Amino acid sequence: MPQRSLIRAGGVLLAASLALTACGSRDSGGGSNSGGTTTKTAKIGVIAPLSGDLSALGKGIQHSVELAVKQANDSNAIPGWKLEVYAVDDEGKAEVGKNAATKLAADDAVVGVVGNLNSSVSQQTQPVFAAAKITQISPANTNPTLTKGADAANPKRTYATYFRTCTTDAIQGPFAAQYLLANGMTKVATIHDKKAYGQGLVDAFTAEFKKGGGTVTSAQTINPDESNYQAVVSAISPTGPQAVYYGGEYPQAGPLSQQMKAAGLNVPLMGGDGIYDPKYVDLAGKTSEGDLSTSVGAPTDSTDAGKKFLADYDAAKYAEPAAAYGGYSYDAANAIINALKVSLKDAANAKAARDATTTEVGKVSFDGVTGKVSFDEYGDATSKVLTVYKVTGGKWVAAKTDTFK
Amino acid sequence: MDLFMQQLVNGVTLGSLYALIAVGYTVVYGIVQLINFAHGEVFMIGAFGALGTWSYLLGESTSIWVLPIMIIGAVAASTGTAVIMERFAYRPLRHAPRLAPLITAIGVSVFLQEAVRLFYPGAKSKLPFPQIDVVTGPAFKLGGVVIQRAALFTVIALVICALLLWLFVNRTKLGRGMLAVSQDPDTARLMGINVDRIIVVAFALGAILAGVAGVAQGLQNSNIDFRIGFLAGLKAFTAAVLGGIGNIEGAVVGGLVLGVVEALVTQYTQYLPFGLSAFGGSSWKDVWTFALLILVLVFRPQGLMGARVVDRA
Amino acid sequence: MNTSTLPNGARGTTAVTVSRPSMQWYLTLAGVVLLIVGSLLSWCYDEGVLGNVSLNVNPGPIQVFMIVIAVLTLFFLLLRGGLFPVLDRLLDSARALRALGATATAFMVAVVIVIALQTSGLANADPGVFVALVGAALITWGSWSLASDPTVDPVSVHMRGWVDILVIVALLAIVLFGAAYALGQEDGTVFVLFLSVLGGVSLALARSGLFSWIRVIAQRHRQVLMLGAFAVAFLFPFTQNGSDANMSIATQVIIFATTALGLNIVVGLAGLLDLGYIAFLGAGAYVGATLSYSAFATIHWKPPFIVVMIIGACVSATLGLIIGTPTLRVSGDYLAIVTLAFGEIFRLAMFNLDGNNGPNLTRGPNGIPAIPDLEFFGFNFGDTHDIFGIPINRFGNYYFFLLVVAAIIILVFTRLNNSRIGRGWVAIREDEKAAEAMGVNTFGLKLFAFAGGAFLAGLAGTVKAHQDVSVTPDQYVFLESAFLLAAIVLGGMGTVAGVLIGATILKLLPEKLRFVSDYRLLIFGLLLVLIMRFRPEGLVASHRRQLEFHEEDTELAEHVEHAHLEATAGSEGTA
Repeated sequence: MPQRSLIRAGGVLLAASLALTACGSRDSGGGSNSGGTTTKTAKIGVIAPLSGDLSALGKGIQHSVELAVKQANDSNAIPGWKLEVYAVDDEGKAEVGKNAATKLAADDAVVGVVGNLNSSVSQQTQPVFAAAKITQISPANTNPTLTKGADAANPKRTYATYFRTCTTDAIQGPFAAQYLLANGMTKVATIHDKKAYGQGLVDAFTAEFKKGGGTVTSAQTINPDESNYQAVVSAISPTGPQAVYYGGEYPQAGPLSQQMKAAGLNVPLMGGDGIYDPKYVDLAGKTSEGDLSTSVGAPTDSTDAGKKFLADYDAAKYAEPAAAYGGYSYDAANAIINALKVSLKDAANAKAARDATTTEVGKVSFDGVTGKVSFDEYGDATSKVLTVYKVTGGKWVAAKTDTFK
Repeated sequence: MDLFMQQLVNGVTLGSLYALIAVGYTVVYGIVQLINFAHGEVFMIGAFGALGTWSYLLGESTSIWVLPIMIIGAVAASTGTAVIMERFAYRPLRHAPRLAPLITAIGVSVFLQEAVRLFYPGAKSKLPFPQIDVVTGPAFKLGGVVIQRAALFTVIALVICALLLWLFVNRTKLGRGMLAVSQDPDTARLMGINVDRIIVVAFALGAILAGVAGVAQGLQNSNIDFRIGFLAGLKAFTAAVLGGIGNIEGAVVGGLVLGVVEALVTQYTQYLPFGLSAFGGSSWKDVWTFALLILVLVFRPQGLMGARVVDRA
Repeated sequence: MNTSTLPNGARGTTAVTVSRPSMQWYLTLAGVVLLIVGSLLSWCYDEGVLGNVSLNVNPGPIQVFMIVIAVLTLFFLLLRGGLFPVLDRLLDSARALRALGATATAFMVAVVIVIALQTSGLANADPGVFVALVGAALITWGSWSLASDPTVDPVSVHMRGWVDILVIVALLAIVLFGAAYALGQEDGTVFVLFLSVLGGVSLALARSGLFSWIRVIAQRHRQVLMLGAFAVAFLFPFTQNGSDANMSIATQVIIFATTALGLNIVVGLAGLLDLGYIAFLGAGAYVGATLSYSAFATIHWKPPFIVVMIIGACVSATLGLIIGTPTLRVSGDYLAIVTLAFGEIFRLAMFNLDGNNGPNLTRGPNGIPAIPDLEFFGFNFGDTHDIFGIPINRFGNYYFFLLVVAAIIILVFTRLNNSRIGRGWVAIREDEKAAEAMGVNTFGLKLFAFAGGAFLAGLAGTVKAHQDVSVTPDQYVFLESAFLLAAIVLGGMGTVAGVLIGATILKLLPEKLRFVSDYRLLIFGLLLVLIMRFRPEGLVASHRRQLEFHEEDTELAEHVEHAHLEATAGSEGTA
């Protein structure tokens, strides 16, 4: 019968093909690696908002780290090791940031991470990196609780793996208060966006401002998801402030400034480093002349190291500018690279060097583009230089650089 | 008193914006009993249409003559979106169970937001909206009350749009056809009215007003982003329900009432006794608005002005 | 042959009367052989294309996929040749063959195009790829004109119990193996290829009628299937060898699926559209967080976690009752809007209660971070434990725990569905007025649906707080509610399996398809529209539900009635 032979033939074929699929595992993995190179790879992670409202800042962070790593590789700073950048997107959101951090922590080659931009996101990523023993250096987190814990009266370091190259709101807010008082403004209204950053800034500002004899005429909050702040503006206008101090970031601060002035409240808006960005001026429009912001460190282009960094950055032709935190990110990456010089020397693989890297980062001390880079016992930057910037001719221009006392 | 007048002015401004959007919900609902959840997105696309026209066609000029062209751009974008949406997303579902169009509407809403975010250059973050000198210049002062130019623009836009809409519905054949379909679609069909066409017209009408609202919001807030549609849509829907959904005059009244209530609530809940003031102010205003929405839906689903009687099963 | 003319028990002898294998049959067989041979040969000189297909007798992933398709084709071909007459009566091999042929051909054409594009011209293609292409084309050509043989309704076929169970075991083993394989794929392209092959094969199997047969089997052996599925889920972490990344995804999937199941009670069973359901998960999570040992927790009372779970679930259920009350007066889309507004109120309230505006309960937008891991009797969920030499990490621990929670919820769901309450819900869903007239307590049942669904979500929320380490308001936005709803709609309303599948697809795909991650919401929106347009009853539809969307389909109606009678007869027989 034809069927039977057919079936038999089919059965043989079936068995054969099954056997082949079963043993079809691939053994080509080792082939490409046989070139004889002994270079091992370690990765420096970047975790920042690479998309969304704050992507201008995030991209600047990413490229600055890339620049530092490229320079380290070019000069063979760590013999026998090649550094790579592994950038992940936290979208400026806590939940997304935590998942992104988990991804970085799962990669055994990651030894250090630069990020996050937002204090609220770092709050979530700190424990992830701490559990994986990965050093995390933020170029932009200014919230004091990240290093000194929830209780300001009894500071206690929360995560040994966490450092930052910028100063905190505990310094930035009072610095702004002193500047306003020195310029004769004693009646100020405050607004913040309720996030850790904005609220911390306003709290620190208010305390210092009152201490210096000023009055806060009205204290308001906004919801950062909204784009119309008319209600808040109407609430503070009648109290007659000489300036408005805003704790938050530029996507809200820009429109707020514009709407304030369109509603006839013609006083300067002052904010922290979160509004020190060219996009602020775009969003605030022509009426933003005279608005103020503070930012940590001396202006990047005011020091020789800073000028060299900006020149190198331009030469590398990245798609986005270095933005506000480029210099801090570059310094953060270099702090990790300096630590890796010691920790990777005798390490069998990148993962084994994680612990030593944290110890070494705590000990670094070098002249970076934003000033001297070193960390105190909480992981905070020791440098306390700040600058006040003013919108002049549609651009942020440095008005006053000083060391906070 | 100045404060009260000021909040009244703020409220009417806000309310005019809600009213412009709310008409879109009400017109469509009146004809097909569909909550066009994606209408907020139509409004958002209108704003982006205006911005696009301005930056790509008008060379970023700030003189007054660009404003009408921007409005045309906004209306073209929003109407196009609404008509395409009706044709490809809603029309195939006309006889499906109620759940289907509502879920489709959520899908369309997410899709439109994302499409703008991904494909409009720079739309991943907030974009500055053009400042037209005459409309966004220094505010007028009337006694102690500040009246912004953009606010005047919004109110005037609402008045003109409402008048034209009234004329259209009551004085044209198409408009009367719309009324007929909303009263009894089957009989209207028997009388020779092209129901499909009327439905497209309803979507387009709502979209035109939403496009105008997009320009108004852009001028008022000086910036737009791809998320503005969600909250504005929800507020406008509240306004439509408040006025009695399906009732065009109701949408306008509902919008104005909602705007004024919102402004006054924001102002005066700050003076509540017994520590309740903590639940007032601008932070909680949306909570009170949504609570109002729930209360109206539960206790007076026909709204202030009365809606067509509908069986909501 | 026409089965309807055959006596019911006829076997063996009738199979021989199958007409002699035709020309097309041999043609298809030749196609199978060519496809296998071609897939064993090299496809391309370049190693970098499609995950290295340049080796002879050592197939790359995509070549393995083609061999799998060929083997399946062979199976159906042999079926047609009369190898398994019983199965042949159940399955329409011609339709399956056609679908398989089309899939294989589409694939090979795509492969040729990819090779041509990526290596600048077809010069780099090896003969193997063309052999395989011809094979695929032959399968298509051969199978195209094969006559479709009529099949019997699987409900009327009774096989030995062990055969049924064997099929279930095999099916579950394939699911476990497939899931582990898919998750193990780091390469996005291979993952997409795997999914497309899976799609093509599923289509073929669906067309053959295999799935409706499996559905009948599943109906008959519900307990076996449930236990088996649970076992598979339980075994899954052991296939991962302590990988953080995959277990993290798996844990998220299971939380999402659990919440979606709770929502399914409200939407799928009772037919009440809830667009603010994420608030119930959030309420549970916030209770879990504020009563945890986190340094940022605002309530300084620390009960044991079991108590926290119950409190969280009860708080959530209370909110469910509150939001359920308007159902007394509102229904339909108005109810949907009420729930949406409620969800927004919840989020805004959590956002505001930070001490600036109202009491400090939630720390506003900063949320409550640093929630410590759970600890039961010294077993810390944060540590890695070895079981049978396989490390089970932090996510693994939560995974097992959540699995237990999910099992409880599934149990509750199915018991409710098959109870008097469940039938009441169905009655309300289909015609509320009629139900009320028949004496169904509609308001009570609707309230119960809301409270019950919320209770389950609250339960899951308390665990989620610890698993996530932090709770913030932006985790509970409207889009999350839409996602949950989409999982139910995609999977099939009112079914357990469908919701599990829907939840897995919606959570897993974006994680694996990182390169389209920016477009995932766009795709999500489009998907929602397309499903409503073309398959509103979802992937795994309960037949009753299918009928609601296709009222004019009388054949389906008869089938549903038949299956229903069968099921009731069966349950009465065993009871």
